[in-house]
Amino acid sequence: MYLEQLELTNFRNYKKLILNFDQGINIFIGANAQGKTNLLEAIYVLALTRSHRTSNDKEMIQWQQDFARIDGQVMRQTGKLPLELIISKQGKRAKVNHLEQSKLSAYLGNFNVVLFAPEDLDIVKGSPATRRHFIDMEFGQMSANYLSNLSQYKLVLKQRNLYLRQLKYQQAKDLVYLEVLSDQLAAFGAKVIKIRYQLLAQMEKFAQVIHKEITNQQETLTFQYRTLIKQHALTDSEETIYQEIKAIYTENQPREIEQGTTLYGPHRDDVLFFVNDQNVQAFGSQGQQRTTALSVKLAEIDLMAAQTGEYPVLLLDDVLSELDDVRQTHLLKAFQDKVQTFLTTTSLDNVAKEIINDPKVFHIDSGMIKV
Amino acid sequence: MQYPEPIAKLIDSYMKLPGIGSKTATRLAFYTIDMQTDDVQAFAKSLIAAKKDLHYCSICGNITESDPCDICRDKSRDQSVVIVVEQPKDVMALEKMNDYHGLYHVLHGVLSPMEGTGPEDINIKSLIKRLQKTPIKEVIIATNATPEGEATAMYISRLIKPAGIKVTRLAHGLSVGSDIEYADEMTLLKAVEGRQEM
Repeated sequence: MYLEQLELTNFRNYKKLILNFDQGINIFIGANAQGKTNLLEAIYVLALTRSHRTSNDKEMIQWQQDFARIDGQVMRQTGKLPLELIISKQGKRAKVNHLEQSKLSAYLGNFNVVLFAPEDLDIVKGSPATRRHFIDMEFGQMSANYLSNLSQYKLVLKQRNLYLRQLKYQQAKDLVYLEVLSDQLAAFGAKVIKIRYQLLAQMEKFAQVIHKEITNQQETLTFQYRTLIKQHALTDSEETIYQEIKAIYTENQPREIEQGTTLYGPHRDDVLFFVNDQNVQAFGSQGQQRTTALSVKLAEIDLMAAQTGEYPVLLLDDVLSELDDVRQTHLLKAFQDKVQTFLTTTSLDNVAKEIINDPKVFHIDSGMIKV
Repeated sequence: MQYPEPIAKLIDSYMKLPGIGSKTATRLAFYTIDMQTDDVQAFAKSLIAAKKDLHYCSICGNITESDPCDICRDKSRDQSVVIVVEQPKDVMALEKMNDYHGLYHVLHGVLSPMEGTGPEDINIKSLIKRLQKTPIKEVIIATNATPEGEATAMYISRLIKPAGIKVTRLAHGLSVGSDIEYADEMTLLKAVEGRQEM
């Protein structure tokens, strides 16, 4: 799918703006603080009804105005689809094909985007919690089963932690109930681990291809899923995984009571990334870490395409400056014929123009746009 | 300016009910003022009567006017099977089915450390005592299909299974007369898991 036309009204620094886009690569170029990222944000909001930059929708409305409006013409395999989103101080209204949607959930999914912003580099460099958050968000979109098991796991985890605390301070003494909670946590945990493992394997395949492309066949990217059970046990059935987790809880019961919290489970999982068999998080160069983050993130595009049958639109916010020329070239090559791409940059000098099939370039200067 | 004391107190009382905020409470209070005196008196009486004349059954824990309750006293009912539920409301729901003629046991809650309810805080002890004294052969656990309801069901089954009593759990899945296309993913998943051979 691709975005053919975007119309903004009172959105951030744009009073009124109509832009027509190319099916391939679209470049927003301009100095700092001119409104490049605002354009990417508008496309993102049109797709997901919320911003990646702020949780306060009112910030997107131009100063002293009552509402902001984003209109988009999305071309899908099935034809042209007009989308409209109005953000007012009273809330949001969304229209698909000029019909108002009573639920925002009915609006979502009509236009899919994948955004890569500098803060996404944290997928590699950040804490295990950042990576867990990333995979939970990602897999949650793809599998309702995962989302439901994860939220039940979190609920039981909370109950179990509280009960372990009560046992620690002798406010409770019933160990049968602890066993019940352990069994329940192990059952949801086994489901979460199984789905994580399967989806990570799928994602790894896509990320590998992309990584090879970006690094000009020099580097091989592999994932390793670290959880409380052994690597080779991950391919076992859910039942076997469940039994293993249960055994871990039984064995460590005294320790967990002493600590008053759950020490083992998928809430402590991590994903390690290896380039040519070396851990990137620990030993990779800055550039390798960036490339890895990019490959992992871009694998989302293929995963989404595999799932919905259509490629989403790719938004790259100021990412090119983070990569060397070779990696830039390969990145743009990897997707240029399949995926409509929007990117922001301060100058065109370092964008390898010759490999891009006539990009459409937009010069942005204080909210004025020249094609 | 404030409302005169009688009506302010009435508004306050209405606000103690669940789901009623200050606006609804004010509307209800003013409506009460305009009601016939007889009706208001009957209303007040039933409020007090509900509190004074209702007790918990000493056997099953259900709400009743007389102890033991009508269901526990009815000897024509099947004395060998008991359904364990969370709330008295659940007993009413199951009774509407008109097809179950066994006994009930009301827990008055589920196990949830988050809400501060442990095994001693719900009606489990009396269930165990009851099982020791009476010839119950099967316990059907009908707690809600929430993680807490499941944990409570598992807990009870661990306590009573060693005594050789059959423990069963209500089925999960599609509701009768519903269309598959409108069912949510999790319900469908449970329904597929719990499929039966034909």
